[in-house]
Amino acid sequence: MSLLDAYPLQHYLLVSAALFALGIFTLVARKNAVAMLMGVELILNSANLNFVAFSRYTVGNFSGHLFAIFVILLAAAEAAVALGIVIGIFQNYGDVDADALDGLKG
Amino acid sequence: MSPTALALVQDLRLFLPEVILVLTTLLVIVLDVTPVRKSHRALLYLTFCGLLLSGIYLLRHYVDLRESGGRASSSNVLLFGNSIALDPFAVYFKGLFLLVGLLTGVLSIRYKKLNPAGEGEYCVLLLCSTLGLFLMVGSRTLLMAYLGLELVSIPSFVLAGFQRDSRLSNEAALKYTIYGAIASGIMLYGMSLLFGLAGSLDFAAIRHALEGQTELRASPLLLSVSMLMILAGFGYKIACVPFHMWCPDVYEGAPTPITAFLSVGPKAAGFGVILRFFYQSLSTHSGGGDWTPIVDQLQWPIVLSVLSVATMTVGNLAAVAQTSLKRLMAYSSIAHAGYLLMGVVVLSKDGIFAILFYLAVYVFMNFGAFLFVVFLHDLVGSEDIEGCRGLGWRAPFPCIAMAICLFSLTGLPPLGGFIGKFYLFLGVIGRELYWLAILGVLNSVVSLVYYARVVKAMFLENIPRGEAEPLPVPFFYSAAFAVLVAPILLLGVYWAPLVKLARYSSSIFGA
Amino acid sequence: MTTLTSALYHAAFYADMVLTVGSACVVAFSKNIVRSAFSLLLTFVGVAGLYGFLEADFLVATQLLIYVGGILVLLLFAVMLTHRISNIKASNETSFSALAALAATGIFLVLVEVGTKTHWDVKGGPLGESTRPIGLLLMGDYLLPFEVAAMILLAALIGAAYLARNAIRK
Repeated sequence: MSLLDAYPLQHYLLVSAALFALGIFTLVARKNAVAMLMGVELILNSANLNFVAFSRYTVGNFSGHLFAIFVILLAAAEAAVALGIVIGIFQNYGDVDADALDGLKG
Repeated sequence: MSPTALALVQDLRLFLPEVILVLTTLLVIVLDVTPVRKSHRALLYLTFCGLLLSGIYLLRHYVDLRESGGRASSSNVLLFGNSIALDPFAVYFKGLFLLVGLLTGVLSIRYKKLNPAGEGEYCVLLLCSTLGLFLMVGSRTLLMAYLGLELVSIPSFVLAGFQRDSRLSNEAALKYTIYGAIASGIMLYGMSLLFGLAGSLDFAAIRHALEGQTELRASPLLLSVSMLMILAGFGYKIACVPFHMWCPDVYEGAPTPITAFLSVGPKAAGFGVILRFFYQSLSTHSGGGDWTPIVDQLQWPIVLSVLSVATMTVGNLAAVAQTSLKRLMAYSSIAHAGYLLMGVVVLSKDGIFAILFYLAVYVFMNFGAFLFVVFLHDLVGSEDIEGCRGLGWRAPFPCIAMAICLFSLTGLPPLGGFIGKFYLFLGVIGRELYWLAILGVLNSVVSLVYYARVVKAMFLENIPRGEAEPLPVPFFYSAAFAVLVAPILLLGVYWAPLVKLARYSSSIFGA
Repeated sequence: MTTLTSALYHAAFYADMVLTVGSACVVAFSKNIVRSAFSLLLTFVGVAGLYGFLEADFLVATQLLIYVGGILVLLLFAVMLTHRISNIKASNETSFSALAALAATGIFLVLVEVGTKTHWDVKGGPLGESTRPIGLLLMGDYLLPFEVAAMILLAALIGAAYLARNAIRK
């Protein structure tokens, strides 16, 4: 058994499950839009970790790597748009707490 | 085995509608920054030209597909290393999306709140979003489905917040973005689990992998978890319960033409991708145009029928209490996601056909209703039901057109919406899901309450004092209403051609 | 391979796991949003390390460049912009934490059950150096996704510039 095989797939799945759960916690518990985006980033990282780990262990080709690369790219695009929106809101409200946003109800 | 450059170029020939959309996008960007003086809405008209040209090539694909015979082998063309399918199913949807893009543009022509300085950006984002819709319905791999979905989402986040100085629009954009990011994140986790189990991103390969596995390995828990997570991403697009929370706020805050776009385009594309994914990956074709769930322990049709009932009930009950027309239409579109889901759960060609048929009618009904919202805002300055009071006597034609759209959304004969709902219920009854059919009919009755409230305000309530004189209706609105309402009326009495088209588009799918 | 190297290797792996999950906990539980943002940096670095243990060398670089260098900077910018420096302390309020904790624990348990109980079909050895095959795939099988991603980035660029332009001009 080579050294690199020392860690079973389950180790990675465990980390990714923890990241996903912490991301969900952040999303439910936080009201601040930027904090919620951080929760989303945790979830995206957990999914990416899964893709790369499966690519290495069960799939045996690079398709998971490519998926992860695209996810990272799109996360950057999403973050840029979100920042644009946050800047706009900051101009109009001076705050980005979800509770302060009560122009729309429900 | 990787495709050669030659093969990719050949595939590009079958990809011309999409290529034209990309080229139009680039042309709009270039023209937008050149210092040439442009007339009002010139870029919007250029966008129309691009969409129409794309439509011409789409028509050619359709004719080619028909001529190559109805056989599955020749008319299911796979492009770019099997990642995109060019089949009648996709072509049908793409035709709808071009219509949606055009109508969104038409609604924008007279929408006053639209910032004229941002016209170039507006057109670019609309074109990108339309391209995303194209890719979503054509996608045959998890990766393409995800990319298509994001190409729809990211421009629509910006479009929802396009009125930069409006707080409502800002909020709509923020809510839409955050919920969108959450939904796609959860979907990605589900996709990663499925990828790990099946070892491939390709829909068909996933089915083969799942079929080949003993029940020992494909644990039902894993499959249910990943399916539910993937459903979060698609469900967000079609706005079904419990992924509908963003919908009323975003619909209310977004510019009205964009609201109309969101209520039809992404919803239709979401159904396209749901049908493809659930029928090609999670079902086995059992002959005669019927499918069965791939693993006995994973009865996803039951999950979807529960969601369907929950969606239509929540949408209809919440709509009753609304005073804003845009919020009312938001809940109405949630309810319609519920009706359309009935077509997914029946797992038969009849179900697919009913969805295709209904979506075509839905485009006209919804855009008609949103055109009325634009009209109301333009001439009366209101977007509430209150603003419609007595309007039926002051501007009869637009109000009658709106009434027709609303009654068609309810599903009253002899309108197109009735025929669409009839086929949906027929599919459900054909599968002996009587409880679902009964709940669907009850929901339609509830929906009559709030649609009729608008009609009542228009025709049966007193005109506010001092506003009795007739309202001069610009020719633009009369023409636009006529164009949108004519198909609804026509399809109510003569629907055979659309039935033929929709049947053909669903017949080859998945076989 | 000496025992010492092996021990170090193991230690590094488990330290990385702890770093990733621990810093993610700080992101989730910290009352201070600036602290959350900086912990997120450690989470991203930790995940990059795990990619390293998975021999995904290209992804290590991508993760560090885009996540740490790009996305995190954007998030920090948003944090700084929206919270004037004097007002930094307790702005990361929590609401209904009990519900959140319950939901997160439930999801974690289900995912652990899925991850550990499923009989994953674990195949062969390492994939080897990844940069070259990824580059070839992006120009071959994955050419269309590559181009689509370009369109998405274009749309995001134009959209974000449009949304922020007015605000900055004011």
